[in-house]
Amino acid sequence: MAISIKENLIVGFSDFWSRKIRSIIVILGIILGTMSIIVVTSIINGINKTTMAWLMERGGLAKISIERNWDNDTTSGEREYFNLKEFEQISSLIPEAKYINPQMNRHLSFSYKQDTQYFSTFGVLADLTGIEEWDISKGRFINDFDIKQNNDVIVIGSYIKDTFFGNKNAIGEIITVHNRRMKIIGVMEHRFMKNNHPMQQNGLAYLNRRAFIPISTMINKGTGEDKIFRIDLKANDVESASALGAKLENIILNMRHGKPVFRIRSAKDEAQTMKKNSEIFQLVFTLISAISLFVGAIVISNIMLATIKERTREIGIRLAVGARRRDIFFQFLVQTILVAVIGGIFGIITGLSILNIVSKFLEMELFANTSTIVFALLSSAVVGLLAGVIPAIIASRLDPIRALRYQ
Amino acid sequence: MEKIISIKGITKDYKMGKVIVPALRGIDLDIHKGDFVAITGPSGSGKSTLMHILGCLDSPTQGNYLLNNRNVSTRNKSKLAEIRNKQIGFVFQTFNLLPHLNMQKNVELPLMYSGFSPRKRAKLAKKVLSEVGLANRLKHKPSELSGGQRQRVAIARAIVNSPSIILADEPTGNLDTASGMDILSIFTELHKQGHTVIMVTHDPSVAKRANKIIKLVDGVIVNGDIN
Repeated sequence: MAISIKENLIVGFSDFWSRKIRSIIVILGIILGTMSIIVVTSIINGINKTTMAWLMERGGLAKISIERNWDNDTTSGEREYFNLKEFEQISSLIPEAKYINPQMNRHLSFSYKQDTQYFSTFGVLADLTGIEEWDISKGRFINDFDIKQNNDVIVIGSYIKDTFFGNKNAIGEIITVHNRRMKIIGVMEHRFMKNNHPMQQNGLAYLNRRAFIPISTMINKGTGEDKIFRIDLKANDVESASALGAKLENIILNMRHGKPVFRIRSAKDEAQTMKKNSEIFQLVFTLISAISLFVGAIVISNIMLATIKERTREIGIRLAVGARRRDIFFQFLVQTILVAVIGGIFGIITGLSILNIVSKFLEMELFANTSTIVFALLSSAVVGLLAGVIPAIIASRLDPIRALRYQ
Repeated sequence: MEKIISIKGITKDYKMGKVIVPALRGIDLDIHKGDFVAITGPSGSGKSTLMHILGCLDSPTQGNYLLNNRNVSTRNKSKLAEIRNKQIGFVFQTFNLLPHLNMQKNVELPLMYSGFSPRKRAKLAKKVLSEVGLANRLKHKPSELSGGQRQRVAIARAIVNSPSIILADEPTGNLDTASGMDILSIFTELHKQGHTVIMVTHDPSVAKRANKIIKLVDGVIVNGDIN
C-alpha cells in the first residue's frame, strides 16, 4: 500500500496552493538562482557566438595579423612600419603561409562626373580576397600583372558602386581617385553580418565603403608612401595557425632587434582566449548562482521545518489513519522538491523574459539553450532535494500520539 | 462470538526524566466482534494509554496484544501503520480533520494510504458520508461545519475502510448535549449494524450506551461489567 508519486504531487501541489504567499516568498531564492543561470549563461553564449561569427566573417580562425604594438615604448628608435622590401623578406621566410597581404590605406577623394566623395582606399596584393574570404561580384580583382605594371585599376565596394553608378554597370568606367584616372575593373561582393539580429545594424557595412588598388600603384604613383603598418596572412589551416604565429613573432622580433614594435594577432588565439575568458566568467557566475541557490535551500529548509512544526497535528492525523513513516517522508520531500521546481520554473520564465529585454538592448540574438534550461531546472530540483531531506526525516520520525496532542 | 481483541498482561511504563511512571499495570481484556465497549475511569487512570495501545499508536512495554488472532505487540512501525489503516478507525474528541481538505478528501485519507484509486476513493467516501447524513456537504471545509457535523465526518472517515474496530476517544467531549446525543446514536447504530465499537469516556451517562463497561483505576481494570 504505497502512495504514488503522482498522489504525492497532487498532495504537494494542493499544499503549495493553500499557502500561496508563503510558498512564493520561499521560492524567491530559487527564482533568483535559476534566473541568473539562464541569463548569464545565455549572454555568455550569445557574446561568444557573436564574436565567433565576427572572426569567421573577417577571415576565419586561420587568419593572422601583424600590427603595431601600441603598448610598446615608441622611443626605442625602431621603425614602426615595414617597407615593401621588408615585406618581401618576411613573405619569403614563410612559404607555408597560404596568403599574405600588406595593408596600406589612405583616405582619398573619388570623383565621377560632378560628384566627389572620400573613401578608404587600400593598396593590396591579389591575396586579399583569399585572406578576407571576400569575393568579387562583378569583373575581376587586382592580379599580379596589375601589381607588376603599377596599373591604374581599381576595385570598389558595393556602397561606392551604388553611390556613383546606382544600378548602372561600373566595370570599365573611369573614376578619378586623388586626381588620377583609374579604371574600375571589379566590384566587391556586398558584405553583411550573417545571422544578424533583425534590429542590429549591419556590422560589416564599413567594408562596402572600401576600394582597392594595386599596392605598387599606391606606392609608386604618388598616392601613398612605402610604409606598411599592418600585414595580414592566412595559414594553410587552423591547426598550423599557432605554429605560423610563433614563427612570425620570432622573425619580426629579429627584424626590430628584439624590440616588440609589432604584435601578432591570431584569430585562433583570440577565439581560445575568448573561450577561456568566458569559461572563467561562467564559473564565477555559476558560483554566484550556486550561492543564491544555497541560500534559497537554507530558506526553504527553514520554512519547511517551521511548516512541519505547524503541521505536527496533521502529521499525527495522517499517521493515525495509516500513513507510514515513509509516506510522511515522501510527502514532505516531494513537496519541498515541488516548491523548489516551481521556483525553478518561475526563475526560468523570468530569466527568459529578461533575456528578451537584454537581447533588444544589446542588439544581440540571445537564446537559452535547452541544456541551460534543463540544467537550471535540475539545479532547482537538487536544491529542493537537499533542502527537503532533513525536514522530511524530522516529520517522518514524529511520534503519532505526541503529534496528535500537539496544539 | 469470535474474539477480536485479546490482551494479556499488558503494562506500559513512561519515562519522565529518570523516573519511570507506570501507566498500565497488567491489563487482561477480551473484546468480541460486535461488542460496544466503554472504557471509563478518572483522568490519569490509563484509559488513553490503553486506547493508544488498542489503536496500535503505541506498543506495550510488556504483554501480548492479539488483534484478530495475530500478535500486534511485536510489530514494527510500518506494520502498525498498516494495521491502523486497515483494521482501526479512530474518532477523536477534537475531530482531527485536516482543515485545508474538504469533507470528501478528509474521508478519503485512509483509502489513499490503502492505495485505492481516486475513483474508488471518491465513491466510498460519498457512500459513507451519506450514511452519516452529510451527502450534501462533500465539498465543504471543516471550518464551514458545526461541531456535530465535523464529528460525523470523522466517523465517516473511521468507517470508510471497513475496520475491525472503531476506537472513539471522548467523541462527545467537545460537543453540546444535543449534538453529543446525535453522535452517540450514530455509534449505537453502527453497533447495531455489527461494528465493534470501543469508546473511551469519563462520562457515566455516555458509558451507559455500551454493552460492556471497563473501569480503569491507576492502570488496572477494576471491573468488567456487562450492561
